[in-house]
Amino acid sequence: MPYTLWFDRAGKEALALVGGKNASLGELIRAGIPVPPGFSVTTDAYLDFFSGTLKEHVEEILKKIDPQDIAALEEASRKIKEMMMETPFSKKLEEEISSNYQALSSVFDMQDLPVAVRSSATAEDLPGASFAGQQDTFLWIQGIDEVLLKIKECMASLFTPRAIAYRMKMGFPHEKVHISVGVQKIVDARAAGVMFTINPINGDPSKVVIEGNWGLGETVVAGLCNPDKFVVDKVTMILEKEISIKETECVFDSRKKEVVHRDVSPDRREIQCIEDDEALELARYAKKIEDYYGCPQDTEWSIDRHKPFPFNIFLVQSRPETVWSQKKKEPILGKKSAYELLMEKAMSKVKINM
Amino acid sequence: MVEKKGFPMPLEVEFPKELEGWEEMYPPYYIFSKERKEWEEKHFWFHDKIHAPEVMYPLDLIFQEAWQIALSQYTTRVFCIPPAQGIAQRMVGCYMYITPVAPPPPEIIGEKAALFQKRVFYVFDHYDALWGLWLKKFRALGEEMANILVPTEFPKFEEDDKVFPEPRGFYTSYELIEGWDRLVNLMIKGWQFHFQYLNLAYLAYLLFADTCRKLFPGIGESTIGKLVAGAYVQMFRPEEELGRLAKIAAAIPELSKLLKSDLSVSEKIEKLRQSAEGRDWLVEYEKSKDPWFYVSCGSGWYHYEGSWISKPEIPFGYLKSYIERIEKGEKIERDLPNIDKERAELAEQYRKLIKTDEDKKSFDDTYKAVRTIYKYAEDHLFWVEHWLHTIWFEKVRQFGNVLVKYGILKEPDDIYLFNRFEVPYLMEDLATTWALGEGVPSGGQYWQAKAEKRKKILEAAKKWTPVPALGTPPEEVAEPFTIMLWGITTEKVKEWLKGVAVVPTEVTELKGFASSAGVAEGKVRVVKRLEEITEVQQGEILVCPTTNPAWAPVFTKMKASITDIGGLTSHAAIVCREYGVPSVTGTGIATSVLKTGDTVHVDGNTGIVKILKRA
Repeated sequence: MPYTLWFDRAGKEALALVGGKNASLGELIRAGIPVPPGFSVTTDAYLDFFSGTLKEHVEEILKKIDPQDIAALEEASRKIKEMMMETPFSKKLEEEISSNYQALSSVFDMQDLPVAVRSSATAEDLPGASFAGQQDTFLWIQGIDEVLLKIKECMASLFTPRAIAYRMKMGFPHEKVHISVGVQKIVDARAAGVMFTINPINGDPSKVVIEGNWGLGETVVAGLCNPDKFVVDKVTMILEKEISIKETECVFDSRKKEVVHRDVSPDRREIQCIEDDEALELARYAKKIEDYYGCPQDTEWSIDRHKPFPFNIFLVQSRPETVWSQKKKEPILGKKSAYELLMEKAMSKVKINM
Repeated sequence: MVEKKGFPMPLEVEFPKELEGWEEMYPPYYIFSKERKEWEEKHFWFHDKIHAPEVMYPLDLIFQEAWQIALSQYTTRVFCIPPAQGIAQRMVGCYMYITPVAPPPPEIIGEKAALFQKRVFYVFDHYDALWGLWLKKFRALGEEMANILVPTEFPKFEEDDKVFPEPRGFYTSYELIEGWDRLVNLMIKGWQFHFQYLNLAYLAYLLFADTCRKLFPGIGESTIGKLVAGAYVQMFRPEEELGRLAKIAAAIPELSKLLKSDLSVSEKIEKLRQSAEGRDWLVEYEKSKDPWFYVSCGSGWYHYEGSWISKPEIPFGYLKSYIERIEKGEKIERDLPNIDKERAELAEQYRKLIKTDEDKKSFDDTYKAVRTIYKYAEDHLFWVEHWLHTIWFEKVRQFGNVLVKYGILKEPDDIYLFNRFEVPYLMEDLATTWALGEGVPSGGQYWQAKAEKRKKILEAAKKWTPVPALGTPPEEVAEPFTIMLWGITTEKVKEWLKGVAVVPTEVTELKGFASSAGVAEGKVRVVKRLEEITEVQQGEILVCPTTNPAWAPVFTKMKASITDIGGLTSHAAIVCREYGVPSVTGTGIATSVLKTGDTVHVDGNTGIVKILKRA
């Protein structure tokens, strides 16, 4: 019954304990991919916390509500969150999280290492029960008190009005859904973005496609910018790129202590946000990841602004690519013999479109 | 300049006054005509910068005449590539234009498809054995050509041995006439052999390229070329033989010193004969020389390029630099087993990315087909364009000499100013004059005046820039050579169209085929005439209409190459990949837009050339 597990200790076999997102980080580490270090607060920790009077009270509230009554739903959610935030973690749980956070900080010679705190649900992979986006991510959290608070907030995110209504509608018992939370060193990203281990446009399996922008990866993930695009051939490692004009970036404002959107300074707007070497290194990781998982992956990456190449490259997420992977694996060339294909070719013409 | 909507029609071309009379140098059916206007205007004629980048000397046209017939008949009448027809040629002010002929009617396509299946599949299945037969046949033809007797002397009286015991019945006059006719016929026949499997080799390439593009939509064109290209290509043998000779010499200080010296070739050979080691080396040299030094210093298409046989100072010059490199500890030979292994590994890595077993099989099958027959495209080049053409040029020189000796021409090479139908006039004039007896004038003055006039026309034509294309662009092209060798695509035609109205100094970027991967930046050297190739300096970027593997020693000097014309398996592309030199081929207008000394950025991965600074 571990309350915490370092990422490298928990892969897909520990899904029930650490949730999908954290387990995938564990798998990436096993595949030899650099992932920012951190640990999971397990579902056991959640169960330790969500027990006794807290559990009874929450269940009582949930029993009474009508999922159609939106006002009541919101009121219930607010109340549950309040109750959860007021309930302290057990001494043992609190100590274990503190000791892990301290250990993580000391690796980087820091008192209060800035971390990202993210929920990692266990039901994510259930068909039709997608909870993506219903859980929280908190960036740039510093100090154990803040960390504990955000962990709790992540746990409380199981009881947003939408999550409650969704489970009720699907007849999914509330107590069956557990949550794990990841606490991970934050990458102070000079640039970040997404990477596919296949060309998502045409399904070309010989290409890695990278999209990136200055700052944190959010702008790319959420489609808030025109990212730079890099296409790398997996075999020849030939790189093609399209550099966009990048207007906005997403960075951590250390004075405001929050993540803000801001204009990209004019001198960086038209230059590529990652170097060719960095793109190639990312592509090498893409090949490794795909080999490891055995199917095309959709990943997120960050380039640390303080570290030298190649130690500045980190993968922060990997999940199966959905569009092309779900297509039925029909032969593209239609089971034709070389002669049939030759005949076809001999009959074909090159169109000239003036 | 006003932007034009299309290309000029053939009969609209205006020629400078100095070119007046150019038409009479070529066979009449090579000239655009009112009688065929309708058909000619429907076609799309582009300047063939691969085989005929330069002005055409009338006798050099023989190779073109021969390929027009041979290439076309294999497509239309022999192997019957269903929707494709031949490639027609025309001369326009001393430059050659070609067009893929429009597809045949549908019923013909059906008939051809049946024959194609029967015949082409057979060739693919038996190619290895067929190649052996081809080579034997071709070498026999070349030897027959080499053995043609050219009379060097018209005797005052025929010798006794041609009268006794039985008068021979034919004499020097006939030997001259027959010798020339045989020479011409063998060249035409050699070119019939040239295309025996070439159309099919190109088709196999296109098939494999298609398979690759379906499986890997973004695969680079240069990568496909790399997958197909063989390591053991006969066109590279001349260079390998030089390496072998250089190695032998480098091991013997006395030989090395002699071959590195500044003595002339004949002095070197004289000295080599004086020592046992030297004589041994000469034995090896002779072994390499025939056939491997029968290689043109250029493309093999022009008489003035010369060959390693007519200009032995060229191979001896390379020998000198090879020996120096060996002594410096450099490796001069290409690591063929390794090149081959790398290619196989590249194929295996792509193969691994294929998802289904059926597609893996299609990939394997089409790869096997192209690997089997594509060798032909790589190997025939040495035997036809180099070996046979070198023999031809040597023979023609002998005929030229005899015409000069008897006052028909002023210079031996003036024979090239007359087309192959006219040269028999000169031969017959000489034969007749001799036969008529003493004191009979020949037409020498007439021929010499004609030669002078033609020289002037050709000089003027060199200064004239022909338009890239004429007539109406086609809606589709099925002819495999047009697609592959000349790399015709929508983009290409559009690029040429731009070339019609282009102001060279305003162009900032060129687009072509990404033929050999890599990026380079530097100053360009524009080489329009093949003889200027020696001017290329270390580290320059070569810009030329098209290139040839026999320029090998230059490829080690240059940083990148850019050509006007040529697809992915054009000569330039193959050599550049071999040498790891970035290359962009088929830009259409590089030689007219760039000037020697301009600074450019060549991207062999994307096919884009950026002009950074004008000289």
